[in-house]
Amino acid sequence: MTVDAVSSNSAVVARASAPHPKARGGRPRLSRRTRQRLLGLAYAAPALALFTAIVLVPLVQSMVYSGYQWDGVSEPTFVGFDNYVNFFADPDLRDSLVHVLVLVVFFALLPSALGLVTAGLLGRERVAGDGAFRVILFLPQVLTSIVVAIVWGRVLGPDGPLNTVLRAVGLDVLAINWLGDFTWALPALGLIGSWTNFGLCLVLFLSGMGTIPKERYEAARLDGAGPLGEFRAVTLPGLRTHLTVALTLTITGALRTFDLVWNTTRGGPGSATTTPALMLYRFAFKDPQIGQASAIGIVTAVFCLLVALFLSRMAEQR
Amino acid sequence: MRTSRGETVLNYAFLVLLAVVVLVPVAWFVLTGLSPNRAGTIDLTNLSFANFPEAWEQADLGHTLTASAVITVCAVALQAVLAITSGYAFGILGVIGDRLLFPLVLLGLMVSLEALVVPLYYQLHDIGLTDSWLGMVLIHAGTSVPFGTFWMRAVFRAMPVGLVDAARVDGSNSWQMLWHVLMPMAKPAVLTLCLLNFMWTWNDYFLSLIFLSSPDKLTATVALGNFQSMYTTSVNLLAAASLMISAPVVLLYLFFQRQFIQGVVSGALKDA
Repeated sequence: MTVDAVSSNSAVVARASAPHPKARGGRPRLSRRTRQRLLGLAYAAPALALFTAIVLVPLVQSMVYSGYQWDGVSEPTFVGFDNYVNFFADPDLRDSLVHVLVLVVFFALLPSALGLVTAGLLGRERVAGDGAFRVILFLPQVLTSIVVAIVWGRVLGPDGPLNTVLRAVGLDVLAINWLGDFTWALPALGLIGSWTNFGLCLVLFLSGMGTIPKERYEAARLDGAGPLGEFRAVTLPGLRTHLTVALTLTITGALRTFDLVWNTTRGGPGSATTTPALMLYRFAFKDPQIGQASAIGIVTAVFCLLVALFLSRMAEQR
Repeated sequence: MRTSRGETVLNYAFLVLLAVVVLVPVAWFVLTGLSPNRAGTIDLTNLSFANFPEAWEQADLGHTLTASAVITVCAVALQAVLAITSGYAFGILGVIGDRLLFPLVLLGLMVSLEALVVPLYYQLHDIGLTDSWLGMVLIHAGTSVPFGTFWMRAVFRAMPVGLVDAARVDGSNSWQMLWHVLMPMAKPAVLTLCLLNFMWTWNDYFLSLIFLSSPDKLTATVALGNFQSMYTTSVNLLAAASLMISAPVVLLYLFFQRQFIQGVVSGALKDA
């Protein structure tokens, strides 16, 4: 940027002409660039201070906590990496990790695939009223998570509208308590996530479609590509960045699932729908094992970080 | 374009199907909230708003919506100030030590809340900021710094360079440059940032659940969760309360659809 170029030029000049900053007067003569950057630090200071207090310091403390066994009251005992080992060794904690991996399929892969198909169909031509469709399909993204949980908790309830419909068409066998069933609770929660995330994926892909030059489609058609070939040759490569972003957001969202599960099944029936965030909440505030809770938090954050890095690396390649 | 009529019809049918799948649960819930039947059966002949005052009373929405409103409005204002000042610093002025500081702020974009809530709780507890609206505002503001900084920095950097230079030649100081030259042009972007922050803060459940405990301080989302487990039988009241609690964000969304959708899209793409 030119601003940077100008200021760094003046810095060079200042350095050359004033080797002794304190040469004249008692006051140190700082270069214009340095003065401006000091001013910048002052402008950024409130944000940096609050960020440090709320995010950075607790983050470091979390790592420290995770090395201890502590019930929040008595003296903490140092246990090294036990809490981390426990995350993968303890059956309940390991299960919670398996659960969120299942949720990734429903929260991320399913809506992304469906979003790609929809964007592929819509991107080929302007559909009149597509703005209205976009607004409707994106609606679940702005709904409060607790309300999403309540709506779906009732829709899927034993006497909810879904089962009413199933009974009305004679499928009484299927009219089960979806969120109370050991087999079906997790996939049912997953589908709620698909419902929520579809709009996000679609909107991202549609914005990506807008950046693909029309000539590429024409070229593909001249080469005799059908709708499928066109999708593979033009749409998919053109949407690589957008697909990466959609997957990053939805996968990390799945790994961190809390609100939805807490407000529908509380991890049940039994422990069929527990998630790491749910276990973290229990260990931190219900049955205090602070060190274990911190280790869960750190591992979750590391997984999210790895997903983000891995996907962005994937997008850069090729 | 070589799109046939049949294809257009098919596209519409597919879109309508998707829209129906998204809207049916919501519509069912709205109608439930308007029906007198407590078990949640829809009664189209007797739709009324009678449930709303009763739900307002029983779910104590007067208190809890006030809590949500105070926390959200204060947090959004503070988030905007911090985003503008630090975005200006990192984007235009430059910051001493930014080689270290800026990546540190960016790291914040990637760190999930789970990794810090536990110590944060104990830290704020020690200084009396748990179960406090002020504490909630500070938490929301502090965790928003990475996104806000990133957002406003990009906005300021996209502005014409001549503008900044001209202001400098005019002898404007840094504050005049920000306030009189850059801000008028940045208004739409600040509005979008505020709308997104409003949505995220109002809709927050996790942080409020952890950091607030006394009934007169709870936000509407957490109170609704408690109301849900206490009043499992009055589905229509639950629906009415839910509608009132989601109303502010949904109304803003309907007014500012473009800002919401564009904001989420460009915010997400900037993160990448």
